[in-house]
Amino acid sequence: MGVVQGDQMVLNIGPQHPSTHGVLRLKVATDGEIVSDIVPVIGYLHRCFEKHCENSTYEQVIPFTDRCDYIASMNNNFGYVVAMEDLMEIKVPERVEYIRVIMAELNRIASHLLALGVYGLDVGAFTPFLYMFRDRERILDIFELTCGARLLYNYMWVGGVSHDLPVGFVETVYNFLDYFEPKVQEYNDILTYNKIFIERTADVGVLLPEVAISFGVSGPNLRGSGVKWDIRKEEPYSIYERFDFDVPIGQGLVGTTGDCWDRFHVRMLEMIESTKIIRQALKDIPTNGDVHQALPKKIRPPKGSIYRRTESPRGDLGYYIISDGSPQPYRLKMRSPAFTALSVLNEISRGWMLSDVIAVLGSLDIVLGEIDR
Amino acid sequence: MTVDQLIDWFPISATWPGLTFLLAVLICAVPVFLFIAVYALVVIYGELKISSFMQDKVGPMGQGVGLHAWRWGLLQPIADALKLILKEDIIPAAADKKLFILAPFIVFIGAFIAFSALPFSQTLIIADMNIGVFYILAVSSLGVIGLIMAGWSSNNKWSLYGAMRSAAQIISYEIPVALSIIAVIMLTSTMSMQGIIQYQSGLIWGFLPNWLIFNNPFTFVAFFIFFISGIAECNRTPFDIPEAESELVAGAFTEYSGMRYAFFFLSEYANMFVVAGVAATAFLGGWQSPIPGLFNSPAWGLWWFMSKTMFLIFVMIWFRWTFPRLRVDQLMSVCWKGFTPIALVNIFGVGIWYLTLG
Amino acid sequence: MTDNQEQLIKEAVEKALQGDMDAVNNIEDRVTRSKAKAALVKAKREAAKTSAEPSSKEKSEESGSESKPAPQSPNQQFAGIIASRFPKTVDEELSSETHIQLQSEKWLDIAQYLRDDPACLFDSLQCITGVDLGEDVGLEVRYNLHSMTHRHVIEIRIACAGKNPKIPSVEAVWRIGDWFERETYDMFGIEFQGHRDLRRILLPDDWEGWPLRKDYEVQETYHGIVVPKVKEGWE
Repeated sequence: MGVVQGDQMVLNIGPQHPSTHGVLRLKVATDGEIVSDIVPVIGYLHRCFEKHCENSTYEQVIPFTDRCDYIASMNNNFGYVVAMEDLMEIKVPERVEYIRVIMAELNRIASHLLALGVYGLDVGAFTPFLYMFRDRERILDIFELTCGARLLYNYMWVGGVSHDLPVGFVETVYNFLDYFEPKVQEYNDILTYNKIFIERTADVGVLLPEVAISFGVSGPNLRGSGVKWDIRKEEPYSIYERFDFDVPIGQGLVGTTGDCWDRFHVRMLEMIESTKIIRQALKDIPTNGDVHQALPKKIRPPKGSIYRRTESPRGDLGYYIISDGSPQPYRLKMRSPAFTALSVLNEISRGWMLSDVIAVLGSLDIVLGEIDR
Repeated sequence: MTVDQLIDWFPISATWPGLTFLLAVLICAVPVFLFIAVYALVVIYGELKISSFMQDKVGPMGQGVGLHAWRWGLLQPIADALKLILKEDIIPAAADKKLFILAPFIVFIGAFIAFSALPFSQTLIIADMNIGVFYILAVSSLGVIGLIMAGWSSNNKWSLYGAMRSAAQIISYEIPVALSIIAVIMLTSTMSMQGIIQYQSGLIWGFLPNWLIFNNPFTFVAFFIFFISGIAECNRTPFDIPEAESELVAGAFTEYSGMRYAFFFLSEYANMFVVAGVAATAFLGGWQSPIPGLFNSPAWGLWWFMSKTMFLIFVMIWFRWTFPRLRVDQLMSVCWKGFTPIALVNIFGVGIWYLTLG
Repeated sequence: MTDNQEQLIKEAVEKALQGDMDAVNNIEDRVTRSKAKAALVKAKREAAKTSAEPSSKEKSEESGSESKPAPQSPNQQFAGIIASRFPKTVDEELSSETHIQLQSEKWLDIAQYLRDDPACLFDSLQCITGVDLGEDVGLEVRYNLHSMTHRHVIEIRIACAGKNPKIPSVEAVWRIGDWFERETYDMFGIEFQGHRDLRRILLPDDWEGWPLRKDYEVQETYHGIVVPKVKEGWE
């Protein structure tokens, strides 16, 4: 009897596929159900963000940052304005800092809700997805109340925010938090500790800390591997050093540290930490103050360059801004956390099954708008 | 009503037996087909509404004009069906045309002819064969041929994956299904569906109806093995691996559209009914009333059978909207390392129970 | 508030200012703790105000070579380390407290050293930024490195002039270098020597030109589709 030799079949997952989270194409070499190699093909959503920036003024860049990571626009705005304010040495009013933190953390919850819900969808659980979207909707309502937009906010400006908080904002957010906190238990009941879900995600796609660091993976994905690394703690920007919150890390509760379940669970825990931050911020926020007070008349940073990182829901979001003293950036580079996260996909899901590739891809929580820019 | 009775009634039966048989079968088949169609509409509506309530939304409510305009979105499934009928029927250029066209019908036939042995009530059964259970088990796995045909002829990698997965899955899960039914047959000493139900009349333990699920611990386990494996045979979540829309787009049905796709849909729901119906017959007393001696007329029998079956279908829907999907190897290991050994042990257990206590 | 509490807060804040945050976090009473934190923030802000004001005007960093004898920034410190280890690789004139200017020749060795040396341990490549500094200077690649162990960051700049800019690839040192270098290649046409899979990543494989160079001209047509030059109507 000779040895049965199977040829490899190349399967194109995407660009149109239900679980590529956008327009991503994975060229997957398969042998039966086993995946032997994955080549991500990206760029389908490339909108020349960096080239556009070079031809726009600094304030015109902010709407572009919205559209990079459209799931967490506030955090992308935040990263950019923090970098710009560092470059221009603007001190923003207290109230603005608090508003920004509240917005960024609300957006972090919204982003994680989307990531977790869609992950449920990826492994075949439909209902948690709708539970999480139901609650994400409330956050979007809060954003709509504040700045009129539900997805692309253009809310944070260099030196301030576009609108002051509306009347009744604090109560609305308190109401939301009171509503939201018990819901996390509901998500855990229906999805996190579901036996089938654990079977599907535990021990799958284990991302070792060294590998993660070498691949530049950051944010919840890195913390899922057990590395306590959070820019909000390590290089506090804005007023994050004032808040008392934990950095949850993956501990391999149901499998190996750094598996898909850990990445999922870290996001779940981070939402609770975000609610803690929001509660503290709501308690301390100055009741009045002009949010436009520190807006510069003309945004013309001095000659120089800056690289500034912030913690977006997907990880270390960096902006490298080079200014030549004109109102337009000479060069603006965005270090996208999802870009680095996607690059590790081949490394951790090679040798697993086709279904696991989908599970690992979902657990990395990529946003193609940010990868392709 | 059985086919045999119909044949006897026809005055021409002696002269043209073939023609008589054909007429009798047609008279039975048309109502069954209509029944499946109506039942599918009801269950699709149920699935929409049940899933909506589970997901904290209202589901179809009948806003809008035209067919949707009635109350509670009751006409939603009809609108869905209409949409599927009116859609363009696309056959990919690279597909194997004959097989592609044939596949949905074979899948449907597999589910459809199984109905002929389902006892809806004391009198309402198309053919009470002496090998009824065996017949259902045999024909319900006919569908897998259609699925493989669909996957192969579509000339699409996703379809092929779906087909291979469903072949592996359905054939594997045949075994625990059959083994748990053997436990039933051992007790009842008959393979006739009506015979199995008649065995379950009266009381057991003094207060419980003498349904096989209550008969002894082994049949209790057998029921769950049968039901869960049955769900796997219907390709329902958490075993919807051949379809797995987040992995395989739509599995074997990827290239299908319009009415052909609707036929796959219809056969899935028909299969659900068959599995639930057999489970109700073999373990839950079929048309037997839960209070022995009361409500036992044939009309009530139809009511009891339908309510038991519909309850099991509700459980299937409930599963679908609660659980994530298993992976294909986990599915296989559940079958071969879990259900099959337990079902085998069960057979011994039932035998020993029968010899010592029965 | 009792005197006792005030005393407690004062002590905790003093300790925290010296870097021991536990002193504040260990206060059991919640109200006292939050008050202590508020006091700490206030103290920090005042400290920052006094120290930041005099230096704020002098931050023009491109001319950073005339730096003050302030405590050395990590960039200067590591510039020294690299210079002693790999002589004639650091361009001392162009290096400053914000970055280290390197020659491209031994970059791979230096990268390896920076990653593995126990004093450096730059295990994370944060970002690779290409930049076109105009015709007379040429292209430059900027690497932001970061150490997870020591938690220090440096920025390395390597110029690559000429028509066919070349830089040794560090893809084997930091795995993310693979995609970052591909992106920089895609946008600037910088050839990373030794990269095993240098292809375009964001743009289509058959795209012409290097879009982020300042002299970039958009191609006339792409697969028969005319690329619009006159931006009327959509700008």
